[in-house]
Amino acid sequence: MPKLTIDGREVEVPAGTNLIEAARRLGIEVPYYCYHPGLSIAGQCRLCMVDVGNSPRPQIACNTLAADGMVVRTETPKVLETRQSVMEFHLINHPLDCPVCDQAGECWLQIYYMKHGLYEPRMVDEKVHKPKAVPLGPHVILDAERCILCSRCVRFCDEITGTGELGIFQRGDHSEIGLFPGKELANPYSANVVDICPVGALTDRDFRFAVRVWYLETAKSVCPGCSRGCNIEVHYNLRRPHHNQGHRVARLKPRENPEVNQWWICDAGRYGGKFVDDASRLLFPTRGRENAAREVGWDEMVPLVAARLRDYRPDEIGVLASPRMANEDLFVLKRLVEHLGIANVDFRVPPGRPGDEDRILIKADKNPNTRGAELIGLAPRAGGLDARGMLRAARERRLKGLWVFHHDLLASAWPGSEIREALRALDWFIFQGSNANGISPDADVLLPSATWVEREGTFTNFEGRVQRFWKAVEPPGASLSDWEILARIGDALGLGAVPGRAEDSFKSLAAGVPAFAGLSYRELGDFGKEAATA
Amino acid sequence: MSRPAAVQFTAGELALVRRLQALYPDKRAALLPVLQLVQDTFGYISLEAEEYVAGLFDLPPAHVHEVVTFYTLFFQEPKGRHVVSVCHNLTCHLEGAPTVLAHLRMRLGVDVGATTADGRVTLLAVECLCACEMAPMLQVDDRYEGNLTPAKIDRILEGLE
Amino acid sequence: MAERILTRNFHLPESHTLRVYRETGGYEGLSDVLAMAPATIIETVKRSNLRGLGGAGFPTGVKWGFIPKGHQGPVYLVINADEGEPGTFKDRYLLEKDPHGLIEGMIVSAHAIGSRLAFVYVRGEYVQPWRIFSRAVQEAYDAGFLGKSILGSGVDLDVVVHRGAGAYICGEETGLISSLEGKKGWPKLKPPFPAVRGAFGAPTIVNNVETICHVPHIVQRGASWFAALGTAGQGGTRMYSVSGRVARPGVYELPVSVTLRSLISEHAGGIANGRRLKAVVPGGSSAPILTADEIDVTMDVDGLKNAGTMAGSAGVIVMDESVSIPEALMIVARFYAHESCGQCTPCRESTGWIYKMTRRIVEGRGRKEELDTILDVARRGAGTTICAFYDGAVGPYISYIEKFRDEFEALIPK
Repeated sequence: MPKLTIDGREVEVPAGTNLIEAARRLGIEVPYYCYHPGLSIAGQCRLCMVDVGNSPRPQIACNTLAADGMVVRTETPKVLETRQSVMEFHLINHPLDCPVCDQAGECWLQIYYMKHGLYEPRMVDEKVHKPKAVPLGPHVILDAERCILCSRCVRFCDEITGTGELGIFQRGDHSEIGLFPGKELANPYSANVVDICPVGALTDRDFRFAVRVWYLETAKSVCPGCSRGCNIEVHYNLRRPHHNQGHRVARLKPRENPEVNQWWICDAGRYGGKFVDDASRLLFPTRGRENAAREVGWDEMVPLVAARLRDYRPDEIGVLASPRMANEDLFVLKRLVEHLGIANVDFRVPPGRPGDEDRILIKADKNPNTRGAELIGLAPRAGGLDARGMLRAARERRLKGLWVFHHDLLASAWPGSEIREALRALDWFIFQGSNANGISPDADVLLPSATWVEREGTFTNFEGRVQRFWKAVEPPGASLSDWEILARIGDALGLGAVPGRAEDSFKSLAAGVPAFAGLSYRELGDFGKEAATA
Repeated sequence: MSRPAAVQFTAGELALVRRLQALYPDKRAALLPVLQLVQDTFGYISLEAEEYVAGLFDLPPAHVHEVVTFYTLFFQEPKGRHVVSVCHNLTCHLEGAPTVLAHLRMRLGVDVGATTADGRVTLLAVECLCACEMAPMLQVDDRYEGNLTPAKIDRILEGLE
Repeated sequence: MAERILTRNFHLPESHTLRVYRETGGYEGLSDVLAMAPATIIETVKRSNLRGLGGAGFPTGVKWGFIPKGHQGPVYLVINADEGEPGTFKDRYLLEKDPHGLIEGMIVSAHAIGSRLAFVYVRGEYVQPWRIFSRAVQEAYDAGFLGKSILGSGVDLDVVVHRGAGAYICGEETGLISSLEGKKGWPKLKPPFPAVRGAFGAPTIVNNVETICHVPHIVQRGASWFAALGTAGQGGTRMYSVSGRVARPGVYELPVSVTLRSLISEHAGGIANGRRLKAVVPGGSSAPILTADEIDVTMDVDGLKNAGTMAGSAGVIVMDESVSIPEALMIVARFYAHESCGQCTPCRESTGWIYKMTRRIVEGRGRKEELDTILDVARRGAGTTICAFYDGAVGPYISYIEKFRDEFEALIPK
């Protein structure tokens, strides 16, 4: 492990660490544009210059590896002058159109100009003109004049997705990034180029002109789009509720987790959170169907559901949990069904179309918590029916009541006629979920759930990694976290020791399920921990 | 010189492509020679040709486009039957390149970068061709011509079909 | 008259043929040289003080010594025949008039560095030189000077002649490697240096045509013979390309100890039309300009370095009193703006900016402070890029303005 000195302070770093990362360990920020820890070294922006030893010229920190005894200085007059010059060079042909640029507020030209530029502009000539507002694909739009040619997006498509859509064409100050004429940037990870673009050259068509970034707040989260559990940030807007058509969640962004998703997320996950602010949200507990439907308060609904569960024999009741539910929800549900002696419990419903999968992040299982449901034990209990068996039993009038969480059974691999027949044959059908779906109109009781951004909880990814997500916005209407709905019903049924917070449920889970032993919210931290799945 | 039909090499040309690719430790290294072959065969390098070549090299078309747009000798538009490239770098400039260009513009009736209406000549101004001892000079197709005078330029133009 | 080594046969008709080359002693000593230990050849080249003649002037033998010791796997010799430095045309003459001299140099050099596959990167515009050289390569193969076990020595060498496609930057050795690999000619980050990881990921030595042409003579006639032809820091002769306002523009092979004054006034016939000398660019357009008072310098690497300029590619551009220096700088600035590969920000952005400023100044629309702006921009950008291209542009930007400031100021409206 080389030991070196940066700005007079010693630091020891693993062999192969470059000077940007070595300085970062000391809290010293070396500015850069083209460097990205997930991509190859390009060394072309020339901003990360530092003085190294007695070298007469500053060196780029990105391509200089820490060496034993190396003496590095990041703030010498020469380094500061070079940074200032490089900022001036980056900006002479830049349109300086910040007022109409979506990147404003999170633009590294703005940030670094204030930190390292602050020169008097000297460029009076006509700037080089390049294509503007060019859609590259479904998600990304290019302004080539704002581009600083750092090549991160090109390297992303070459090195991460291997799709190679982007190139830098022409040369000199006419160089410009772009696609092969007539082609699209439409790979499953395309919008990551927006995240890694340090300036306003590549912006997100979905987020474009929706909200100014300085109105956004951030919550750490986990993508619920598949069993990978990519770490994300939820960017939400509460300060300007009239912007972005009232949508509170403005965008989802990847959050670095070297163990799970590195710096990336797929487009499906990024744009998969639209259901949160969708008109299909279930807002209030509702009883009755169609014209007879009536919104009621939880104080009326909870006793009603409790009575149904109490008044029917356990073998007449089916509970279909969801791998979209958090561990906290699933654990309360498991306790409840055990308390009631219900054996017809399942969580697996095969999707109508097999999910796509690749070698990068995307998993075929589009549920965030299948592994959690397996570990907690929501499979049929001894003598109980599985999901399809429950439907068959319903059609045969052996099963009288069904409680379905989240699933849209009509989007499953099973014939729609079988499902409809089964649901119609039931005495009662409780649907609990965040949004209306194909089967929710058939339910005579609707229990509105909060979505994952409206509450806290944990998912267990396909590798058994338990990861926390945090609350960004309030649940709309009277909707509640699934665990809370279950806790209220459980309380009415004498379940005892029902949780008051999500964390209480997790504590009980850690105490009650061996795979989760030793885990706690504190222990999980921001990046999660492996459950003891071996 | 040119074969304007759909971009598709003959079996013989494809064999040449394979032979060029086999000359190098990595077949991609034959990209420049093969693009040159495309240009010699089809007159210029169309986008269709770039995609065709990308297929021959298992490269994304954008990577071929980067190369085609980087080098000055690759033509992305049809060029004239002859290309006259006048050096306008330092020595040639001192020795009269502006006069040479003015004379050619007048004689050909086109501006620099353009092709005569009859498709006979494309006129270009280029950087140093490294024949400064014969400044002012130009390249006409494969050939260097130096010590240019208006009379000599006229003789050169007369020789172009 | 000093002995001419590389150009000795230039006057002969058919000097490019194998027949004439052999009649004048070519390939004669090759068998003996191929029997020599590679290390001995490298040592001889080191002691000869042969320095790279493409522009950088780096000691050739030292460069060869950078190949990692005990390296297994291929090593490539790449000949830089991408002559492009404005004012330079010597390699064109070598390719056309002495192609076998280059081939023999490649055989010896490849043997020295352990390369069995060599590439010759010829600039795309050099169609005739490429044809002539390619024919010579075929002749050499047919006569057993290339291919497997050359002259029964057990030494193999294959040569691939590769054409460029129009880009000055491909004369930079790592830009050339990128281009040889079928990419844009973007120079590569160093480290790694090409001798460690170059073309196709293997150790690669890139040498200029003229440099390699010297090698057989050095190995056969001895390091001290070659060293003695030159100065303390640089051995041998080199080929000076002289152009501009001289009576006899052309290529002159002379010992590197020749002075710039002698080169211009004696060898190239002095200033044409009886005018007076004003300025000289001594080493290709990237070399800082010298005034008429500064030409009593020797034309070796160190002599020109001490004079504040550089030997570069030995392209000597002579300007008489009728030449407008601001206009000359505008032409040079246009060239660098056109040829910047666009990879590094300082070079990509400021070459275009400086061209725009110089053009406005020449057009009488300059601003008072802009001469200092150009100087400041050039100084700040110098040394900040991946390759030496921008430093080459900075040479003229600064020297033209500093040495002829009055001429620039006269063009700026009061």
